[in-house]
Amino acid sequence: MTQDAPLLSCRGVTKRFGKVVANRDITLEVRAGQVQAVLGENGAGKSTLMSVISGRYRPDAGEIRMKGRTVSFSKPADAMRMGIGMVYQRFMLVERLTVAENIRLSAGSCGISAREANRRMAELSERYGLDVDPHRTVASLSMGEKQRAEILKLLVQDARVLIFDEPTAVLSQPEAERLFEIFNRLRSNQCGVIFITHKLDEVMAAADFISILRRGRMIAGLAPSRIESRRELARLMVGREFVLAVDKPEIQAGDPVLELENVSGKGVAGRTGFKDVSLTIRKGEILAVIGVAGNGQSSLASAITRASDSGEPTSGTIRFLGETVEAVRWNGSEAIGYVPEDRHRTGSVHGMSLAENFALTRLKDCGDGPWLDRGTVRRETAQAISDFSIRATGPDDEAGSLSGGNLQKLILARELARNPALFVAEQPTQGLDIAATEDIWASLIKQREHSGILLISGDLKEVLTLADRIAVMFRGRILEVLDALDTDAVGRIGLLMAGGME
Amino acid sequence: MDIRILPRTEPIRHKALVTALLSLGFALLAGALVFLGQGVNPLEAYAVMASGALGSLNGWAEIAVKAIPLTLTGLAVAVAATMLLWNIGAEGQFVWGAIGAGWAALYLSPSLPPMLVVPACLLFGAAAGAMWATIPAALKVRFGVSEILTTLLLNYVAIIFMEHLYFGPWRDPMAFGFPGTPIFPESAWLPRLGKTRLHMGAGVAVLAAVCLHFLLAKTKWGYGIRVSGHSPQAARYAGISAAKQTFTVMAMAGGLAGLAGVGEVCGIHYVIREGVNPGYGYDGIIVACLAGLRPALVPVYAWCSGRFSSVRTDCNPPCSFPRPSDWCSKARCCSACWFPKP
Repeated sequence: MTQDAPLLSCRGVTKRFGKVVANRDITLEVRAGQVQAVLGENGAGKSTLMSVISGRYRPDAGEIRMKGRTVSFSKPADAMRMGIGMVYQRFMLVERLTVAENIRLSAGSCGISAREANRRMAELSERYGLDVDPHRTVASLSMGEKQRAEILKLLVQDARVLIFDEPTAVLSQPEAERLFEIFNRLRSNQCGVIFITHKLDEVMAAADFISILRRGRMIAGLAPSRIESRRELARLMVGREFVLAVDKPEIQAGDPVLELENVSGKGVAGRTGFKDVSLTIRKGEILAVIGVAGNGQSSLASAITRASDSGEPTSGTIRFLGETVEAVRWNGSEAIGYVPEDRHRTGSVHGMSLAENFALTRLKDCGDGPWLDRGTVRRETAQAISDFSIRATGPDDEAGSLSGGNLQKLILARELARNPALFVAEQPTQGLDIAATEDIWASLIKQREHSGILLISGDLKEVLTLADRIAVMFRGRILEVLDALDTDAVGRIGLLMAGGME
Repeated sequence: MDIRILPRTEPIRHKALVTALLSLGFALLAGALVFLGQGVNPLEAYAVMASGALGSLNGWAEIAVKAIPLTLTGLAVAVAATMLLWNIGAEGQFVWGAIGAGWAALYLSPSLPPMLVVPACLLFGAAAGAMWATIPAALKVRFGVSEILTTLLLNYVAIIFMEHLYFGPWRDPMAFGFPGTPIFPESAWLPRLGKTRLHMGAGVAVLAAVCLHFLLAKTKWGYGIRVSGHSPQAARYAGISAAKQTFTVMAMAGGLAGLAGVGEVCGIHYVIREGVNPGYGYDGIIVACLAGLRPALVPVYAWCSGRFSSVRTDCNPPCSFPRPSDWCSKARCCSACWFPKP
């Protein structure tokens, strides 16, 4: 199955940003018909390496070879021309055009005629099992369908090496399995696949070869068969023993904090709305709403917190801390802490300092009357930095300089500082590494003593670790609310998330 | 000789200062090329400029006279741009400031004690400018109309309205047919420094810049505006009302530009007539951008711009050179654009 010269090889690739060496002397090979997983913590240099390979960055040293020939790219289009295509987490598709139009658009820029593009589209979607209706607009597709459209787009442009940046982060379990099936087809058609992931299960399930990055260096490259346990893999990644499990002591659920009765809402800006949602969240319990991204969860979170523009309630009643209001009049409450899904643009302000970010949702507590008390806020921020072991030099750092995990811990610390009766966490650990995930899980469990917690997540493992009850959401409806301790019921979650009802 | 180009691994120190000096250098260089092209010795020309504008108290005062309206309109643009509102309407707000002050000076002053006439002019001018600026704010909040378009177009409406006033109902019947209002009563004149034209507006402008700086840095209101400027989603998340903010910020911007108009009619011209608005509203956009939208720096850059525009008059006779200032300020803008904002 392997040829003499690898499809793609990197030798001695080094990339610096200022003083920071993001990639140091990296060697990586992808053979035709190989699916390679690239593992590493946040900040290990995975994304930088992929950006170098796909032509977004130029390496400061080292060389990249394609089928044995040295190549050099000054832009992603150069890499595409050599057969290297990348599927980003945020898909590069024009939302208002159809799938076919998107594909013809990018094919046209490579000199492929519309007719040829159509022919290839039909042939390739058949060969790789990439079924997605070419006449639908991208905006109407599910995340899995968008991803398949993106893969098809790259294949039409003759991609031989496909790079995926955390491809399963936005997918449900069945959709992820389907993606791995596509990986198999790519493998048997002699393509090379590189995928970045944090999830150890996926590596074992899908990869032929594992490369592990730690602090910018390639510290191991090995076949999955040589790995004895997940624990060993985690140890290689983090550099120390790590077990992803948190201690969750039993605690008695208290009074209801939030009750939704037949609440419906509409999604804004193309998001799915939700219908007839009835849920109760008590103090001391974690209720998880699980679902594949785009099934109405973000409109639901928005309707409850009233702190984003993704959705608003249209009917039903909401009872919060004993007070009942019509859902349409519900305006949120000071007593709701909220960790939004988009930690970079909604949950924080990149261009402002950590201290200023720490004031974002707590303005009322940050000084008398119209004045902003900077001194107090700085002290509180410094305290939070040490309490939550946030890696930063101090409260004056810019928020944009923090890694995703540290930024998320700051947001969490701020929302907890509001001492909320209800705590809403939306995808709180999406894209975070093991260490940060564990810290955030521990904080949520601890917060149960003071609040009811609504966890909105697409990550089954997270939900099973944290939740007391699990509501499965599909196309805007809650299909079922399951007890997390009921092992039979829990087994059905994957199927329910994909809309399957028995 | 072996020359290698390496990417620098450390950021430039004192980037703002280096940027400012380099852009000044480029501006002078570009100006020198233009002078050379016209057969004028650039050193001589710069010497004339220096002695003309900086050689006397009056020279300094004339620069400040230009800098006063530029500071205020610059602030009007900068405060709006801090929350990503593009106020191209400082010109119209300036004009309304002049109208408001004119009304107070001509029609309200007889019924006021003389001491209160100047404060009334400032108040009514600022209020008129603020009122004019809330029109685009309302259109934006209610209908989502781009403020860039509305503020710009309303400038022409304001100017035509002002022309209507001094050609029509407010026209001075004793002015032998020249269009313009009667001269304002002396009680409405802003106090001047000695024999120069430097008027009290300088104090107002500097005070406005200082206040705005502290409002933005030290208050919750200013904090909210900065958050909105960085990320509207984050502002929404923090529960900051975009509608309320749009109104307060636009009203404040209009008030500041209005004060610039007051300064011109009550401090310089003492009438409203053709030429009271030579485009300070638009120049304010340049000043605000050069200052990186930082209120504290707006007076500094207004002073620089004022300095270049007073050069215009100094240089014409000795060098017989048309409008070098335009070249200088253009070159300066270009060179400022080459550098990333600090």
